[in-house]
Amino acid sequence: MSRFVAEPSGGAIRWLRRNLFRNPIDGAVTVVGGVVAAWVIWRLVRFVLVTGRWEIVEVNLRLFMYGRYPEVHVLRLSVAVVVAALVGGLVAGVVHSRQVRAGTSTVERMTPARRLLDLLERFWPLGIGIGIILSMTRTPGPTVTVAVAVIAAVLGRIAGGVLPRRLHPVVAIAAVATPFVLIWYLADAVGWNDWTGMMLNVFLAVSSILLCFPFGVLLALGRRSRLPLLRGMCTTLIELVRGAPLYVLLLMANVALGFFVPQELAPGKVVRAIVVFTIFTAAYVAEIVRGGLQSLPSGQEEAAKALGLSPTRITFLIVVPQALRNVIPAEVGQFISLFKDTTLAGAAMGLFEVLRVSEAVRAQPEFAGQNLLPETLGFVALLFWVGSYTMSRESQRVERKLGVGQR
Amino acid sequence: MTEQDAAEVVEAGEADATKAAGPGDPIIEMEGVGKRFGDFVALRDVDLCVGRREVVVVIGPSGSGKSTLIRCINRLEEHDAGRIVVDGVELSNDIRNIQEIRRETGMVFQQFNLFPHLTVLDNVTLAPRQVLKLRRRNAEEMAMALLERVRIPEQAAKYPGQLSGGQQQRVAIARALAMKPKVMLFDEPTSALDPEMINEVLDVMKDLAHDGMTMIVVTHEMGFAREVADRVVFMADGQIVEVGTPEHFFLDPREDRTKLFLSQIL
Repeated sequence: MSRFVAEPSGGAIRWLRRNLFRNPIDGAVTVVGGVVAAWVIWRLVRFVLVTGRWEIVEVNLRLFMYGRYPEVHVLRLSVAVVVAALVGGLVAGVVHSRQVRAGTSTVERMTPARRLLDLLERFWPLGIGIGIILSMTRTPGPTVTVAVAVIAAVLGRIAGGVLPRRLHPVVAIAAVATPFVLIWYLADAVGWNDWTGMMLNVFLAVSSILLCFPFGVLLALGRRSRLPLLRGMCTTLIELVRGAPLYVLLLMANVALGFFVPQELAPGKVVRAIVVFTIFTAAYVAEIVRGGLQSLPSGQEEAAKALGLSPTRITFLIVVPQALRNVIPAEVGQFISLFKDTTLAGAAMGLFEVLRVSEAVRAQPEFAGQNLLPETLGFVALLFWVGSYTMSRESQRVERKLGVGQR
Repeated sequence: MTEQDAAEVVEAGEADATKAAGPGDPIIEMEGVGKRFGDFVALRDVDLCVGRREVVVVIGPSGSGKSTLIRCINRLEEHDAGRIVVDGVELSNDIRNIQEIRRETGMVFQQFNLFPHLTVLDNVTLAPRQVLKLRRRNAEEMAMALLERVRIPEQAAKYPGQLSGGQQQRVAIARALAMKPKVMLFDEPTSALDPEMINEVLDVMKDLAHDGMTMIVVTHEMGFAREVADRVVFMADGQIVEVGTPEHFFLDPREDRTKLFLSQIL
């Protein structure tokens, strides 16, 4: 690193010599590495801008994004996106106003320009993803939706910032309820088993994350319980699930369930997939949360006991909130892998999620046999990268913020 | 507690310095209390009686059982011999008894043990709202009054991590007071503090003593003991070696172990 260099660096040449060409071997490595990197980058840029035949994605964009969701109901998607943005903005505003009150806000003293830069830094992957998708749309609908969503987010953020403190719990409840309400609203048009495309992946991920979280926390608490039976059951479930590959569990839910449950009573495939993802992720979340519970100093529980709080209140007001906060990065990491693992539901259960969509469009008569694998897979990868990378960065940000004075 | 019992306790106190009852009627009575951690005997046959509005300072070398003694009073440790009665309620395994005693005793810890995920105000209002079922507004009014009393009302909206050690310990005192306890237990409240912050905490504790709070204070602050204590208890090896007024204690200690200890720290 240049900051370890004692003498002041004298321009680019000196920097190059010191860092890349210090001796003949360094120089050779630099040259070879540079050539390989340049070649890869050149091929990549050429593929994206020149040789890539992106019309396969362009023509099938709808199929990729929301699959066979009926056109007449697509407005519901727009409504869902806008509502989600509004609630997200509200939550951000409330969080900000609480941070300002506590004096832990990091953006409070920023100039508007610096704040805009901060937002850009946070959401550029999302921006790039949305930009690419919008550039391929042929109707104004998606662009209008995104524009309205951005406005809704900004309005929500402003409103959340000036909301009286007694309404903050209402926002918290709304934030938790919104995903459920929106999922119900979207499913209302097509039923639970007709979700397809990227929308299905997001649906599987969001519902499983929401469900596995409380379940995982309870499993973690159960594994630390003093009751041997409860402890044994939780431990067995966690270790069984963690010992099986997710793909196998999905296959079992797809095929083996039929042996035990009569056809009419068996839930649909999407529901089965959610159950499997929920149990699978809950087992991992349980182990992560258990680590968080163990890392808590015993003084916290003692102080709560000394105040006369009941064991249940100590657990849910003192112990669990702190344990969860301490393991946010690991939890989000688990959720990111759950998001990506939703593609397994296509392979194992035949659900028409985005990866299966990419296979299906390659089989279309006008594109068949043209080796469009890079284009379709590249687009799917982009969608997942945007989601995963944004989640990862936001979790790091939350972690940093919680480190500011709240520890 | 009958008058006869009280008379007996007082009598016992006159007979033996280690069983001396304080002024007024007793609020904490410990009789033959013992506690082991495996093979280690932390408390051995401890008798101690604390009167209402009395300030008892417990001193002694580390490992002598001072902290264990006060941690037994609110059942953070379970004593395995003898009996402990707090304000007429005997500590048993009955969770309701334990909860009642914990509601009536406030505790301040060496490491503050504030809840880092809650603001100062929420730290103070949590127990009154959850245990005493106070409404948020009433709880917050009371909390602000207490924060005034410990001289940090301006920090109410902050998180514990943003405060200095002395400020955190004063919040911890306010948090304990919010339950309107009849007894306050202090477990080395200034031992984890930087020297310049010790006095701000001791001053708050002195105010509290002057206001008539019953206090048991485990501390190494001899100045505080001399100035505020009604009685000083010296412990060693899990036993109470000597009990007496500060004057007696610092000017004319009777036991050799006490003299040795005082010569080491004074």
